Amino acid sequence: MSLVVAFATPASDIESRVFEYDLKNGLHVIVYVDSSAPVASTSVWYKVGSYDEPLGHTGISHMLEHLTFKHTDVYKPGEFDRIVDSAGGNNNGFTSTYFTAYYENFARDRYELAMKLEAARMAKCVFPDSEFASEHQVVSEERRLHDNRPTGELWELFGATAQLVNPERNPTIGWSDDVRNFTVKAVREWYSQHYGPANAVLVVCGDVRPEDVKAKAERHFGRLKGKPIERRDYYDVEPKQNGERRITVRRRVRVPSMLIGYQVPGVRDSAWYAGEVAGTILGGGETSRLYKKLVKELGLATSVWGGSGVSRDPSLFQVGVTPKAESLIPRIEQVVQTELDRAGAELASEREMQQVRNQVLAGQAFGRDDMFGMAYWLASNHILYGSWRQVIEYPEHINRVTAEQVRVYCAAHLRPDNRTTGILVSAKESK
Amino acid sequence: MNRRHSPILVLLSAFCLLTSAFGLPLYRDSLPNGLVVLTYEDARLPTVAVSLVCRSGAACDPEGKAGTAAMMADLLTRGTATMSGDSVKSIVEFLGARFSGDADDDNCGMEIRVLSKDLGTALDLMADAVLHPAFANGEMEIARSRMMSGARRIFDNPGSEVRYEFMKLLYGDHPYGRLTGGDTLSLPLIKREDLVAFHGTYFRPNSCFVVAVGDVVRKDFVAELQRRLAAWTPAPVPAPTAEPLGMPDRIRIKLITHTDMNQTYVEFGHPGVRATDEDMLATRLMSFILGGGAKSSRLGVSVREEGGLAYDVRCWFDRNRLEGGFHATVQTAKPKEAIGLMLRDIQKMYDSGATKKELELAHNYYTGSFPLTYASTRGKLGQVRTMELYDYGMDWLDKFPDKIRAVTIDDVNQAARDHLAPGKYWMVVLGPVTKEDLGLTDVEWIE
Repeated sequence: MSLVVAFATPASDIESRVFEYDLKNGLHVIVYVDSSAPVASTSVWYKVGSYDEPLGHTGISHMLEHLTFKHTDVYKPGEFDRIVDSAGGNNNGFTSTYFTAYYENFARDRYELAMKLEAARMAKCVFPDSEFASEHQVVSEERRLHDNRPTGELWELFGATAQLVNPERNPTIGWSDDVRNFTVKAVREWYSQHYGPANAVLVVCGDVRPEDVKAKAERHFGRLKGKPIERRDYYDVEPKQNGERRITVRRRVRVPSMLIGYQVPGVRDSAWYAGEVAGTILGGGETSRLYKKLVKELGLATSVWGGSGVSRDPSLFQVGVTPKAESLIPRIEQVVQTELDRAGAELASEREMQQVRNQVLAGQAFGRDDMFGMAYWLASNHILYGSWRQVIEYPEHINRVTAEQVRVYCAAHLRPDNRTTGILVSAKESK
Repeated sequence: MNRRHSPILVLLSAFCLLTSAFGLPLYRDSLPNGLVVLTYEDARLPTVAVSLVCRSGAACDPEGKAGTAAMMADLLTRGTATMSGDSVKSIVEFLGARFSGDADDDNCGMEIRVLSKDLGTALDLMADAVLHPAFANGEMEIARSRMMSGARRIFDNPGSEVRYEFMKLLYGDHPYGRLTGGDTLSLPLIKREDLVAFHGTYFRPNSCFVVAVGDVVRKDFVAELQRRLAAWTPAPVPAPTAEPLGMPDRIRIKLITHTDMNQTYVEFGHPGVRATDEDMLATRLMSFILGGGAKSSRLGVSVREEGGLAYDVRCWFDRNRLEGGFHATVQTAKPKEAIGLMLRDIQKMYDSGATKKELELAHNYYTGSFPLTYASTRGKLGQVRTMELYDYGMDWLDKFPDKIRAVTIDDVNQAARDHLAPGKYWMVVLGPVTKEDLGLTDVEWIE
């Protein structure tokens, strides 16, 4: 079988469609031209997220995201969404570990409206006390949605157990006590510190002309001012793990869940690509080693997945399992570790390696189908890796990973004393 | 893909050509066995998605065996007479493709998405699944375990639990009252012969259609399907029937108290409309104005934006072949206040209707956002599927904006009067609350 893979989507094809530049005020602009549908997705990505939040203020980026839809010097409360609806668009915002993003998807002739709205959001938000109070309640309700999902609690506490210092351990929505104690003053300060052209990326994808985008970007964002923010780096903060950590969550559930995590390198370390390959071989799909062993061969679980996280800092390689019964959890833990040990001792087969390469290429073609999906791809790669070009370089990196590198990665990191295990099991409801 | 053509097919196939809003051609062909094939040529990416839809779903599950259609559809992709389930998955995942089977109330089927260079392999897998499914015992037991886990998990999430309880009240013994994925009582009863019978009865070419979207040439695609599926024989297919749903005479509430929650989940509603009803578009516009979005609809403004009572509040009408439901939902720490506002807003829509300004916004939203709904492969697949499922006609995609614009304020307000029934609701309230906390009067409590 040939190791040379023909690109499903030639890198040159993506490259020829991307236009990238900075405005004088530091706003980074990425344009992706695709005229196959008369639509355009416009988004602005701020380099601020839960990663940047100090304890006591976790969730404040998300709280701010909510409030930016409410009131600006230009638009009254509620007007933002009504304008988008009446122009036949859809819009939303979301907050993650490393960024806060907003988008408007419109027919191609209306994307300038998105820029107008986003420029107001970037520089003209105001936060009246009354609007803050009302939206604070809405965010508190959103926090309660998380509280009432037992698997959500497992995820939150597992992350905070596996990582002790790095702010990736904090939930994006914020810990309950922090959410309760948000103040409008803190939100205003967060906005003035982080929202400005020099800390943002404007992405326009779709049936647009690059020169038009540039003129419109200059018109709406060119006069805005702001200084770049130096992002604090927590690359090396996590203490070395010298023994397994465990957490048990008891909730009113009928189906148990398991999460198993190992401390591993992040995307800034070249070993991360070996982790990507290892994740697919071990836990990607129904031909993965863990699925075949746990679900098909031994019948211990109904589902299993695994893989490395996409994180700038050292993070977690995770395995998730849905056991058939709580009593099977100890046996499942043994089987998972045995499979990971085997991956650290033996080379993956050439067919396994080739399957990973094929899946990456196919995924790249499927991923270009949707203009907002494309914007997400370009912007998140720019923010996480420092360049959108990672979109085209990623398959090349994966192609270069050898079976020996995968084995070394598994042997080095997927060890029991580097493991955190979280389980969700049943507890009777208290009356 | 093998490019062998069938000249006979071209003579037999009656086709119609639609030039879509994107200038991409959509074809509708019929194979000699009655299988309808819709091909949407879109070569912008080297991918193809093919969906095979059977017009029978969970509503046709045998009595007491909910989950049959879903299990059958899932197992179609897990092995044939000559190929094990592991072999099928091995081929699919090696190609980086996606191949899955599933069911909803009205339909079941499978979908495969591949790089276009692998389309021939994809059609081989799909045709083998249609003609020679194995329904092997080993694969069936794995599917049963997975579905049992899913059925139990309904009660681990208050959102799915409240929906489950509401659907039981709304539908009772109606076919839509069955859980598509089966329940813990029905799943153990499903036998291999049930899957074989469902497949033999309902999975017939005259009751199925294929939609292909992507880097595909219609003439070649239709010929390749004909070559693989010529042996698939038509047969009469029974349609599910059901009595009309009963309208409650007042608010009838089931209260489920969970003291370990810090928020209450509410879902209420009553019988609604059919997807094929003539006033479906007017009903959709009315519903959009009332509760189509968590922020800008009437419910969104009063409950979320002004009241600060919930993160999400909305209402909608199901679009099914048989009579669907009208649903209104909210999750809140203050259920009394939120329910009060929702009941008030629905009553107001019934009494006074929408305003012209609201309708204008709804017109703009639906017509303006229409290109967004089918810009992607998934969007195109969904739109063409809907068009064919409900016999909307080949001009539906082209004419949709005009049809939306043709809906008048009188149509919308008539839809409100015809399809909203204020005060006549099935309601489920689930959370850390008591009857007294809700402060509702003139209601009947369901124990």
